[in-house]
Amino acid sequence: MLQSLITHSTTQKISLLESNFWITLLTSSPSFKMPQRSPEFSGSVKLKYVKLGYQYLVNHFLTFLLVPVIAGILLELIRLGPDEIATLWKSLQFDFIQILCSSYLIIFISTLYFVSRPRPVYLVDYACYKPPVTCRVPFSCFMEHSRLILSTEPKSVEFQMRILERSGLGEETCLPPAIHYIPPAPSMEAARKEAEMVIFSAVDTLFKKTGLEAKDVDILIVNCSLFSPTPSLTAMVINKYKMRGDIKSFNLSGMGCSAGMISINLARDLLQSYPNSIAVVVSTEIITPNYYQGKERSMLLPNCLFRMGGAAIFLSNRRSDSIRAKYRLLHVVRTHKGADDKAYRCVFEEEDPEGKSGISLSKDLMAIAGEALKSNITTIGPLVLPASEQLLFLISLMGRKFFNPKWKPYIPDFKQAFDHFCIHAGGRAVIDELQKNLQLSAEHVEASRMTLHRFGNTSSSSLWYELSYIEAKGRMRKGNRVWQIAFGSGFKCNSAVWKCIKSIEIPTDGPWSDCIDRYPVDIPEVVKL
Amino acid sequence: MVSTAGENAAVYDVRLSSVVPASITGEDKVHELCNMDLMLKLHYVKGIYFFRSGAARGLTINDLKKPMFECLALYSTLSGRVRKSEDGRPFIKCNDSGVRIAEAKCSKTLDEWLAFNDDSLNDQLIYSQFLAPDAGFTPLVFVQFTWFKCGGISIGLSWAHVVGDAFSASHFINMWGQILTGQVPPHHLDTYNPKNQKKFPSPLAKVPLSIQRVLLDPDGGHWLLSNHRKMRTHSFHVTPKQLNRLTEEAKLLKPFEVISAMIWKSLAKTSGKAEEPKIVTLISGTWDKENELPSNSRVIISTIEAAEAPPAQADLAELARLIAQTQEDETHLVERVMDQKGSDDGESRDFILYGARLTFVNLEKMNIYALKMGGHHQPVFASYSVSGVGDEGAVLVLPGPPPGTESGEDEGGRVINLILPENQLEELKYQLGNEWGIH
Repeated sequence: MLQSLITHSTTQKISLLESNFWITLLTSSPSFKMPQRSPEFSGSVKLKYVKLGYQYLVNHFLTFLLVPVIAGILLELIRLGPDEIATLWKSLQFDFIQILCSSYLIIFISTLYFVSRPRPVYLVDYACYKPPVTCRVPFSCFMEHSRLILSTEPKSVEFQMRILERSGLGEETCLPPAIHYIPPAPSMEAARKEAEMVIFSAVDTLFKKTGLEAKDVDILIVNCSLFSPTPSLTAMVINKYKMRGDIKSFNLSGMGCSAGMISINLARDLLQSYPNSIAVVVSTEIITPNYYQGKERSMLLPNCLFRMGGAAIFLSNRRSDSIRAKYRLLHVVRTHKGADDKAYRCVFEEEDPEGKSGISLSKDLMAIAGEALKSNITTIGPLVLPASEQLLFLISLMGRKFFNPKWKPYIPDFKQAFDHFCIHAGGRAVIDELQKNLQLSAEHVEASRMTLHRFGNTSSSSLWYELSYIEAKGRMRKGNRVWQIAFGSGFKCNSAVWKCIKSIEIPTDGPWSDCIDRYPVDIPEVVKL
Repeated sequence: MVSTAGENAAVYDVRLSSVVPASITGEDKVHELCNMDLMLKLHYVKGIYFFRSGAARGLTINDLKKPMFECLALYSTLSGRVRKSEDGRPFIKCNDSGVRIAEAKCSKTLDEWLAFNDDSLNDQLIYSQFLAPDAGFTPLVFVQFTWFKCGGISIGLSWAHVVGDAFSASHFINMWGQILTGQVPPHHLDTYNPKNQKKFPSPLAKVPLSIQRVLLDPDGGHWLLSNHRKMRTHSFHVTPKQLNRLTEEAKLLKPFEVISAMIWKSLAKTSGKAEEPKIVTLISGTWDKENELPSNSRVIISTIEAAEAPPAQADLAELARLIAQTQEDETHLVERVMDQKGSDDGESRDFILYGARLTFVNLEKMNIYALKMGGHHQPVFASYSVSGVGDEGAVLVLPGPPPGTESGEDEGGRVINLILPENQLEELKYQLGNEWGIH
């Protein structure tokens, strides 16, 4: 139906092979299928119990070891009898000095232990920016604007349309006001306005939610990859909220979609150095100055996927905050593949042959992302996996190395280590790929898919929208562990592990408050425009 | 169309953007176009409102756009786009594409502009595009905000007639004005369901006189009309005094009929015996509520034939009586024409109504001065017109500025907008000025 109306573009032949490659690369993973039910059902149930038994055994190995030891001691004590025990006790001669030294030693060792323990970092609360309806961009509006802006390039318009149809985005994603113009009007002033709109709104909400006052903030970190004015966005926040003169401020730019985790890592390290401090981290991406206005296909993709969004996070190492904090940070793992040339160039900001600057995505993106993920998993695995999985992985690794390299590599079951997964909503293919590789169920990746649908790819803040989704659905329980994974230019894969330390009620405000009842939504493979 | 930069370009710095509905319309929502809609598809309604600087004080373009988002949530059809179904019949897919907003600046002050008294200049204040050639991706509604040098502002509305009639357009922009001034909009709008659906026997009993089949250039996608004669627009103001004089002379207290008679007679005189318009079309509407979805279902089309005396020589009173009493309602006939198939296959399904014959449009009851900005600021002047009019021309009778506005005197004035071939217009101006002192 639509084809009949696009009279000029149907007469031109698109390099079908090329467009198909891009589309399957970045929007859908055709090889992914839901795991099939095994025909030998009873066999698999038996296997499941064997597996469970094995897990209990290995995970509580120390406990199992201690049991015979305690039993032995008890038996010995019973055998000795109470009188014998009394004489044994009296025969021990304790010098006063010996007692003093031993106690000092014990106190010294315990003090050393407590002091050298890292300070716990608490996430007291966070706030996500909810764009107003006046920034809404439905598919059809986006496509119409594209047709008008790229009126001389029907091939590029057709390409964008196919990407959008398969992107997994919904009809409520938002772009900043400057991009609503035909052609877009990206000026520095418009970019600053967007930054103010997003950042101030998120920080205001955070302050209101937590009762935090601006003068109490000791550390401020803002990360925004593509917009870096002078004075920095951090200075903009300090100016607006009149923060203290001795605040430690950091502005991270150019670090891509994984910069959110880098900021959390930085905040954690700073909170180790400064006792009793509060850190506020603001993650956002400013779209206005980076809307690509040319026709290169590798650079048009970000236009279709990136949308407005931002989040502000309140971190603390103060004991008084541990009571009201929602999460505690357990681990942050950072992996950088920049040493490899291909990885370095796979997400690259450059000028196209016409001099228009944009971000070009290379065709090796998914492969490199897979490699980066593998590195990250290998590092984080030993930190979070239960002993049973680690043992299996070790056996499989040694077997492949020494016995038969053709053994299938054992993929540890991360579902045992984590209850919730927040995968950066970089695009449909990223989520599909991770779901396949980590063998996650549809419910595990639901937060990521729904965030992509409702908000689009909001870059570093998408992980916070996903966490907010899980809370809004009421699935977060005390003791649950969350794994946030982000990919970004560089090529980097950074992840953080949080533990929920407070029972969380379903929030009445927040970015999902007015639409959570509509979710989860069934996202079709191809949306008809 | 808006003029680009040139020496005499008074309107400059035009920027386009889109406004979409505030809430999702949902998948696969379509609006079927009825026969009357398709009959009127080649026409466009244009409206213009002028406000003094006090009305727009402190309002930025975003303040003006924001109520439009909420307004469009009520009118899902306006944000849609035309699509063709398998049998070739157009319909509207409500896909939230939105309406186009243009922002512009004008180097003249409001008073200077109004002093020009040239309606064709108003085209610069109303950004519009025909639905051809890319009907699937052209907005149905355009709104232009132009800031004048003195701080005054004009609002130009371009509205595809296929969506609704002039009253619908006025209701839409009035709703926007209400939301702008802080009123809470209704939850939803009602649909008009006409009760009497007369059934006519299959073969068309009579060929309707008011419409004309046109052959369109297929490259234009069947949405663009080209005129053979050069058409121009002009606006006359009939003061209450002049109107009283007219109604006395015509011995009839119906202003629209009297004014139509006057114009008919004058045009008949100027065009000579051969081209005298013997049959004219009357278009009126029966809107009583404003909170209804836009439609063309309330349009009533009738024809009047000057069978006995030629209108040039007839008495004003006679002609006025003829108009008031011998209207032949053709509305259903016109609608039936679109249903005709069989031997008509292969023939063009494109028609014009306005301008097929000399057309008089009764817009007296239009509430155009109800559009208020800043709470109580009424427009200094407001007017409506139609574009895509056929060669016979059209006459729109609108209410004059009410008391309370700057130029409003006592109740009862009228504004007559004429869209006529150039030569006829010049003659008519002379006639009206001479005989009745109307300028």
